[in-house]
Amino acid sequence: MNNKELITSMADKMKVPRSVVEVLLETTVATCTELLLEEKIIGFQSFGNFEVRKKDERLSVHPSTQVRTLIPPKLVVNFKQSNILKDKLKDLSHHE
Amino acid sequence: MSKEKISSQEITDLLASKASVSKRAAEEFLKVMIATAEDALLAGEVVKIKNFGTFKLLWNEPRKSVNVQTGEEIMLAGYYKVAFVPDTALREQVNEPFAHLEPVVLDEEISPKEPIDETEPVSDPLRIFTEQASEIKDLISEIQALSPSSRSAVSEEAKTKPEEEKEQAYTNEEEKIENNDKITQDDPTLKSRFKEDDSKLINEEKTLIQTDGQVLLDKTAGDIAEEQVQSEDVESQLLSELSMTPYLENIKPIRRKKVWLWVLIILFLLTGISAGLYFFYPPANEFSKRYSVAKISEKVSALKITNAVSKWFSSKPKQTTKTVTVVIPKDINDFDSIRENQSVDSLQILFDNPRVYTKFIASEKIREGSRLTIMSKRYYGQKDFWVYIYEANKDRISNPDKIDFGTLIRIPKLDSRLIDVTNPRCLKKAKELHDIYVKQETP
Repeated sequence: MNNKELITSMADKMKVPRSVVEVLLETTVATCTELLLEEKIIGFQSFGNFEVRKKDERLSVHPSTQVRTLIPPKLVVNFKQSNILKDKLKDLSHHE
Repeated sequence: MSKEKISSQEITDLLASKASVSKRAAEEFLKVMIATAEDALLAGEVVKIKNFGTFKLLWNEPRKSVNVQTGEEIMLAGYYKVAFVPDTALREQVNEPFAHLEPVVLDEEISPKEPIDETEPVSDPLRIFTEQASEIKDLISEIQALSPSSRSAVSEEAKTKPEEEKEQAYTNEEEKIENNDKITQDDPTLKSRFKEDDSKLINEEKTLIQTDGQVLLDKTAGDIAEEQVQSEDVESQLLSELSMTPYLENIKPIRRKKVWLWVLIILFLLTGISAGLYFFYPPANEFSKRYSVAKISEKVSALKITNAVSKWFSSKPKQTTKTVTVVIPKDINDFDSIRENQSVDSLQILFDNPRVYTKFIASEKIREGSRLTIMSKRYYGQKDFWVYIYEANKDRISNPDKIDFGTLIRIPKLDSRLIDVTNPRCLKKAKELHDIYVKQETP
């Protein structure tokens, strides 16, 4: 499901025009990004938490050439699913 | 470090105020959004939100584990987990504080045996120079052994032509000179001076390793030039006599032989020393690149010296260099190779000159999230050149990592050769400067 499909599906459920949903979704994303940049944890009840975590610098060794490279530290967005979502996923059977 | 957690309620309030909708509408929107995403995920779909990221399910394989209390082996069932991959836009925004950092490839020798690496480049040139010195000494002694026979031959021939009184006078004079020469060469003081010269050279090499390679090459040139001045006091007397007498041009077969011998020796020395230089400079350059903390002020003074030296040499008549070639091949060889280096590096001079910023193409106020690297990327097409923006605004920036909000940053107009993105040397120089400034503020 890509962005458009999501918007369409939401518009159908809420019974509002797609454009309204689009604006709201963009605002939500902008708000979330801002909050993450302020190093805050965003918790969506029943869905999960978004958090910025710092990955420390590390030394990586290329397995075949043995070239050692120092990877600089970086900040990444981490998502941790909530227990409610986890329980829902438990019922899902693995089919592949 | 505890982070503030924003609950769903707060998000709803924020969204309502931002999108100027009622809180109810915002709450409903978020609920529907999450429900839709959840449904799609449970249906095994991938959910993609523009500028935010992608959610998808990841299957975790069932695995064995051990009950900590009983030591019993248990089987953990496989399960699905929601994985989130942030969008490039979000990832870059979040990682902005570290955006200027890049992976550094480490040489294999550095980290495991650093102390060895430090001493190696020092001992290497030392060894090469002592080898060269001994080689030169051997050659000198050989020449001394050869010279008496040729000299006697010369005097014999001079005797066979007694009618040329003038020439005999020349020969006598030359004999005297050669005697002088021999005495001075035999003289232990001179030998010790040679040794002194060698040790001086070695000292110079040490300093050369410690600081920027090119700059100190210039310094070496200067020092060698000074040495030449000192030694010329003694030698120039002899040499001026030598060159004033049309001696070398005098057509005498035996004399010619000797000249050829000299030419051969010089050629041999040239090849030997250039080989030595070839082996010596790569490690020196690499070493200095790695450990150079050369301050700009140092570079300025070094540049002054270089200018002075080049002026000094250009004003000197050709004669001196010519005569020096005959007597001290070692010095002239070193000097020649250094001169070549200088002329090739017009860009190096651009690097070493203190940059003066007079023209500015733009100015920007520091806001939240402003970064010199980003400005550099925007104006020069490469974030590494932020150092020049920093240099131009040094008076207002105390720490390039923490610039006060509202500071007016002027973007200088730079020489296009200096910020040539395709030239690896420009990038290298910018990185060196970067290292200097970053080290400055975090000693």
